[in-house]
Amino acid sequence: MRNNLRVFVIITILGLIISACGGGASTANTGGPVTSAPDATDAAVLHIGWLGVPDTLNPAYAFLTEAYSIFDLVYSPLVTESPSGEYVGALAKEWSASDDHLTWTFALKDGLKWHNGEDFTADQMAWAINAVIADPDGWAALSGYVDGFSEATAPDAKTVQIVTEYPIANMEYRLSFLYAVYPPDFESFASPEELQNFVNDHPIGTGAFKMNAFDKDRGVLILDANKEYVDGAPFLDQVIFQKFDAADAMIQALKAGDIDLVLGIPASAYETVKNFQGVKAVAFEGRGFDELIINDTSEDNDPPSTGNPALKDPAVRLALETATNRQDLIDIVLQSLGKPGSTIVPPTLGGGFWHNPEIKPVEFDIAKANQILDEAGYIMGADGVRVKDGVRLEFRLQFDAESSNYPRIADLLSDWYKQIGVKATPQGMDADTLIAAMTAVGDYDLVIWGWVADPDPDFILGVMLSDQYTPGGWNDSGYHNPAYDALYKKQQSAIDKNERQEFVYEMQEMVYNDRPYIVLYYDVALQAYRSDRFTNFIESPLGIEISASLAQVKPVDK
Amino acid sequence: MSDHWKLFLRNLNEFWKAFRRNKLGLVGGFLILTALLAAIFAPALTPHSAVDIMRDSNGRALTFASPAMHSPLGTDDAGHDVWALLIYGARISLMVGFLAGFISMFVGSSLGIIAGYFGGAVDTLVMRVTDILMVIPDLPLMLVLVATIRQMDLKVSPLSVLILVIGLLYWTSAARLIRSQTLTIKERQFVARARAIGAGHWHIVRKHILPQLMPLIVTNTVLILSTAILIESGLAFLGLGDPTQPSWGTMLNFAFSRSAISNGAWWFYLPPGIAILWVSLGCILLGNVLEEMMNPRLAAHYLEGDKGMIAITDKETGL
Repeated sequence: MRNNLRVFVIITILGLIISACGGGASTANTGGPVTSAPDATDAAVLHIGWLGVPDTLNPAYAFLTEAYSIFDLVYSPLVTESPSGEYVGALAKEWSASDDHLTWTFALKDGLKWHNGEDFTADQMAWAINAVIADPDGWAALSGYVDGFSEATAPDAKTVQIVTEYPIANMEYRLSFLYAVYPPDFESFASPEELQNFVNDHPIGTGAFKMNAFDKDRGVLILDANKEYVDGAPFLDQVIFQKFDAADAMIQALKAGDIDLVLGIPASAYETVKNFQGVKAVAFEGRGFDELIINDTSEDNDPPSTGNPALKDPAVRLALETATNRQDLIDIVLQSLGKPGSTIVPPTLGGGFWHNPEIKPVEFDIAKANQILDEAGYIMGADGVRVKDGVRLEFRLQFDAESSNYPRIADLLSDWYKQIGVKATPQGMDADTLIAAMTAVGDYDLVIWGWVADPDPDFILGVMLSDQYTPGGWNDSGYHNPAYDALYKKQQSAIDKNERQEFVYEMQEMVYNDRPYIVLYYDVALQAYRSDRFTNFIESPLGIEISASLAQVKPVDK
Repeated sequence: MSDHWKLFLRNLNEFWKAFRRNKLGLVGGFLILTALLAAIFAPALTPHSAVDIMRDSNGRALTFASPAMHSPLGTDDAGHDVWALLIYGARISLMVGFLAGFISMFVGSSLGIIAGYFGGAVDTLVMRVTDILMVIPDLPLMLVLVATIRQMDLKVSPLSVLILVIGLLYWTSAARLIRSQTLTIKERQFVARARAIGAGHWHIVRKHILPQLMPLIVTNTVLILSTAILIESGLAFLGLGDPTQPSWGTMLNFAFSRSAISNGAWWFYLPPGIAILWVSLGCILLGNVLEEMMNPRLAAHYLEGDKGMIAITDKETGL
């Protein structure tokens, strides 16, 4: 044991010396961040570095994008979005809709097996969908996708049938999030809370990779290749996700060769990473945006919201947006890689089909913002904070402290807001604590956060629904607008694409005018991988780490 | 002014004569003084404020710009002038350091004197609390406390929280030191004589014990300053400072989280690091020299032959 330790220490020190000399990639894996090495020396192991960690591996109650990255690798839905943008079968071989668009029939692929070797049958898929329909409170994260579903059935072992209450315009998209979860894992929960508290550390799925281990505290997640994968075994043997606490450390690890793929390079480091030897950096307009969330929780919420009541005033919201310098945010936070934000539907969705181009962001103008507040009756106090009827414009400005961008955004926002007599106090928080303080509770004023929209606008529009303001729901602003909710239902069943576009445009306008969010910018997804070690990635807006991509990645022949 | 304070001032004067012979002490004093002056006269030393964003001819923010005429130390990731951040940051870092240092010294000295002077149960109580605080690692405890207090939504500024937490937790070593010194002083004859002619506790502590302790307190304040500044920088680096007010720690925090190292922007992370080194080195040099000069033998020598004061000879105290 002692000898081994000594060898390890020597190797590590050597590795440090090599990397410190700037000699590019050190060829040996020199005591990288992960200690679990594969058995065979020539095993193909892809080390992925990222800055987050899945909040849970339970698809019923997962919120962070990191969790969905893992679901995509471990679980399979009936159909999935391909890197080129259209929907292809994952578990389903082919599918069709009845003429009235109310019955969908899916024929499953042959030879489907669970990770534990059992055969996968159609009634298990039907069970997974029905579970979400039956318990929308428990399956809070997925319940939006089964809106309007009546039931799923399995007429035979290879066929799944889904009946809906009304024609659903975006059926394939919805099904791409309804994962085939292993029924024995999820059958036994008596209450929604029990289901939500289930950690699911060893999910059994049908995807290209199977779970080996997940240590949330250490931020390590290990996946093994599923050699029985229906679309062909991956070339990789193992994929290891390692959480980094700092972007700089992660980037240096990529440079040194301790990790092979980096998800989410901060824009501030992109130029540097592009120049690394043996590394390929990729940038693509993603579907993400960052926003300032303004507490819009209704007065009769239980528990009562602690949000500053002045935030209900449209003038205050408009003033905040007018005092937000989007160009500076893009130049500083994104190093000019990004576009000013306006609506909650990013311009990349459906090739730009769903984004309402009529909506323009408000021009940055401190004088005008001051004027708006003056006219609304907020008097500048002696301490530089405006007051109206005893309510001071003094807000908490909270954000996930782990982000490399949000602390800087908070710093800039509070500087600008100070100039209009608004005191915004930045406060970095733990992401889980922040989620718990927001949805259904309303214990915040202003929060900086971001979304990654789905390919279809349905999801991001659903974030503003009043019935999503429940524990585990997606609505974090407390926005409640019956007219909006009604339009949402309409767009869901509008089979005609152009008609649906009109509804989607109108909804964006409502949200924009009511300002539960100030969309700051649409960001760019930045990733990089060691092209001297691995090849065959699919570069698409979905990210290079998606299942379709990782399943075909190969080590470079030495 | 009482005789004792005159004595103290005279001692200070003599002390300066001895002090200025010591090169290291002078260097330490110089380092602290320059940092203080830079902080006080910050507005005169830069045309920019700490929140001004440097812009190019198109009005776009100049991020990670290397040192140039308009910004002698370059700009940070947000286009702020690093030199302006540095000297305005000195205000926060030094203020937190000094206030926290003074609070901890005040608490430490008071508790040390009380424990040492009264002895018995009081001594036991104070010293056990000190022991407990000493075995808890400072930084993690402060981290948890600052984070918890800030979650509680009290209407206090993040900086006050920082000052109070550092000040109220970092007094343990001072308390021990002052207590042991008090123990020796209170056994001296002049204290016994004062008590014999009916002096009260307060009188004895104030007139006889405190002046004797003063040199020790001054020395330790200087030494604790450096620790307080380092702790402030550490906590701010970990994101627990006041992000709206630049300090050296928050500068390092931003440099770290905004990839200054990957960008090779040394002008962003080196200056605050050097500034912290500058001040804490200054405090340590000064403090060590003071400590050297203030050893008990020296202290006894200063007190000899004062009018109205009972001289202590080496024979009497056994020193």
